[in-house]
Amino acid sequence: MNTHLRRSFYLFVAGFVGLVLMLAYWQVYSREALANNPENGFQTQRSISSPRGLILAGDGETVLAKSIKRPTPRGPVYDRVYPLGEPFSNVVGYWSTRYGATGIEIGNNSDLSSIAGEPETLDDLINRATGGPQPGNNVVLTIDPELQELAYQELSASSTGRGSVVALNPQTGEILAMATSPSFDPNNIDENYPDLANDEDAPLVDRATQSLYPPGSVFKVITAAAALEAGVSPEEKFFDSGAYELPGYTVHNFQGKDYGEVTFTRALAYSINVVFAKIAVTIVGADRLTEMALNFGFGDPYDDFPIPVSGSSVNSLPPDQWTTGTLAQTAFGQGEVQTNSFEMALIAAAIANDGKMVEPRIVREVRSPDGIILDRPTPSITRRALPADTAATLNEMMQQVIIQGGLTEAEIEGIKVAGKTGTAESGNGLPHSWWITFAPADDPKIAMCVMIENGGRADKGALPIAARLMRAYLEEGE
Amino acid sequence: MILALLVTTLGFATLIFAQEATSPPLVYGAYYAGTLFLLYLGVRLLLPHSDALLLPIVTLLTGLGLVMIFRLTYDVEGAEELALTQAVWILIGSGAMFVLVLFFRNNYDRLFDYKYLLAIAAVFLIASTFTPLGYTVNGARLWVDLGPVNFQPSEFARIALVVFFAGYLAEKRDVMAATSRSFLGVELPAIKYFGPVALVWAASLGLLVFEKDLGSSLLFFAVPLLMLYAATGRTAYVLLGGVLFSIGSFVTFLLFDHVQLRVQSWLDPWKDPDGTGFQILQSVFNIADGGLLGTGLGAGFSQTIPEVETDFVFSAIASELGLLGATAVLLAFLAFTYRGTKIALLAEDDASKLLAFGLTAMFALQTLIIVGGVTKAIPLTGITLPFVSYGGSSVVGNFLLTGLLLLVSERAGRREVEGLAYADGRAS
Repeated sequence: MNTHLRRSFYLFVAGFVGLVLMLAYWQVYSREALANNPENGFQTQRSISSPRGLILAGDGETVLAKSIKRPTPRGPVYDRVYPLGEPFSNVVGYWSTRYGATGIEIGNNSDLSSIAGEPETLDDLINRATGGPQPGNNVVLTIDPELQELAYQELSASSTGRGSVVALNPQTGEILAMATSPSFDPNNIDENYPDLANDEDAPLVDRATQSLYPPGSVFKVITAAAALEAGVSPEEKFFDSGAYELPGYTVHNFQGKDYGEVTFTRALAYSINVVFAKIAVTIVGADRLTEMALNFGFGDPYDDFPIPVSGSSVNSLPPDQWTTGTLAQTAFGQGEVQTNSFEMALIAAAIANDGKMVEPRIVREVRSPDGIILDRPTPSITRRALPADTAATLNEMMQQVIIQGGLTEAEIEGIKVAGKTGTAESGNGLPHSWWITFAPADDPKIAMCVMIENGGRADKGALPIAARLMRAYLEEGE
Repeated sequence: MILALLVTTLGFATLIFAQEATSPPLVYGAYYAGTLFLLYLGVRLLLPHSDALLLPIVTLLTGLGLVMIFRLTYDVEGAEELALTQAVWILIGSGAMFVLVLFFRNNYDRLFDYKYLLAIAAVFLIASTFTPLGYTVNGARLWVDLGPVNFQPSEFARIALVVFFAGYLAEKRDVMAATSRSFLGVELPAIKYFGPVALVWAASLGLLVFEKDLGSSLLFFAVPLLMLYAATGRTAYVLLGGVLFSIGSFVTFLLFDHVQLRVQSWLDPWKDPDGTGFQILQSVFNIADGGLLGTGLGAGFSQTIPEVETDFVFSAIASELGLLGATAVLLAFLAFTYRGTKIALLAEDDASKLLAFGLTAMFALQTLIIVGGVTKAIPLTGITLPFVSYGGSSVVGNFLLTGLLLLVSERAGRREVEGLAYADGRAS
């Protein structure tokens, strides 16, 4: 009889092993699939029943987003609160169970959320095993809170109140400010979303990264770079007759001026369309101009950046199908050229940084709730846009834009500043006002692009704002 | 033993800390710990040679059950006191077991003398739900209302039946193993000896099927079959049982809507995820939600499962303690099964062997059926997870089961000690 007893016992053991295998199948193998099943409401439920991590500004202290506990009859839930509101909402984003999430809230969700991912520290493991409070990790941004706030104020006080600012450290790629106006209050997004979504001024759109505009003359830095690479020297003389006739298209200067004989440097300083169109058509050519734009990041979708960026584009046609008219227009940033202040700020930064494109970063580090650093990305150079000597030449030419161009408002006492204006025809209303700049030109600390939609002339719209922001930042740093 | 109590205390401490729950009166905790500790000491005194591991496992499982029931119901309106009620049931179960051990500590053989009486009593117990006292819960007529207490008679009837089968089979196993004729190549036993077994078997099974208690039906079917196999060693019985089971399942499937519903919601719960498939889907979602390490006690959503504190308590464990915790709990059940089998192996006489084996098989199968059900390995049949699930009758019944196992192990243990003493005496 004992044999039969043993056999039966083995049967039971097999049964128990089967159960463990079944459990493993659910809990390991098909876990993800079940968690994402539409019938499974646990993720939403958990997202409000446990605190998300903090989002902090670059000083590591200013709180941009936090979770606040609110007791309800069905247990405590956490509301997401954004203490500084509108100036930061395009970066921080919102977190709504009804309307989804944007910005860092979704871009770094796996850090902020207390459920996603595997436990990273021993405390985390113990907390999870014992069911203790499980706040998500804190995300520290690179954003300078004062500069961001100031940038937002300047934008909303601008002539149209519509525009964007992007500023970064050219050597590290850390984004110091990324502001857009108009903006929205991410608090109470659930109530306000329908109105915001229907607003004509599109406050939910981040103009710094998501919109695309014709850049106008700020694009001339790319044409200039391509020209320098093609052998044009800064002192080379060009003749401007005020017009440049091409088959089917005639180039005119801004406000119909003609400048006569000018150096290449002066052509950049005065932003002479005729000279740039001539150089592009006769010296550079469509291929090399396009290649230079791509080197500087046109066409790059910036997939690694936590906030979605619309890639800039030069033209819908490949360069070998361009007409000379297309090439001429592209040379001064009109035609089909589309970009935004995110891309243009990166171009200014690359010129400032000896021609090296640095990976843009907005997250400085991820910390566990008790302060242990879990992730700290290091600066990385994505590629070289320009050889160092060409970059130095272009840097000097951009300083001359301010000196020879008489843009005294952009000057900062004791500091060399470089820049380039852009006044881009937009098709309706006043032209868009652009200004890219970096300083100190010999040891760059900040590169910036300011863009005001329909803001008119560059030196009246974008430039003064940028100048005030640059001064504030460089003086604050001392 | 102390370890088991510590684990329970830790579980409660975690819950109270993590959920900021109002602590249940600590005095109840002390009662629980004290009762089980006293029971343990009492059994050690009365049955010094009995298996020393069974009660600690029971303590661990009941303690885990209390923690889970508390966690699942403390903030549910109308059910806040459920954990306390369960603690009281554990107290009663311990008392019942102690009385059982006290009465039969020297000669549990007396039980076998009353085997026919027990069998009849069992059938009557099951049938009692058809009297006006019985009532229906969740479509199954399992309950009897006895004024102050309601109980599920089948939880006790099945222990009585195991005693009957053990006594009867031990007496008749030789004649039953001897085959008298063969049918289609399968050697069949004489109807004469098989009759009483079949009769009791059929009566209890039939009643349970009409009560719509699928889980218990399965148990009542499988346990006697395994005992028959163990007693006679004839695979023919198992084969015959398998054939009968298939026919029986098919017939019940055709006859009863609720069986069809169960099978359908097992095969394709997605067809009606908010209706018939809701319970099993929520169970599977919760289990998956636990992952390897679990969400942590109190951090899961297992309260979304209907009946989570009774039949689905294992889903809550898997969800909050993860694959590791759930496997550990299954190991505790397996350890109990192992000790039970060991007791059966060491037992002296056939009746004791069969009794211990039958009880163990019932315990193991009950665990396999319900855990298999909530993990969607087999169709769901509503029975409790022994010692862990909320349910008074189930807890008391399983304490009695443990008591009987202890009684059987005591005799084997005593014999072994005496045998050794005898051997020592001869050697010196």
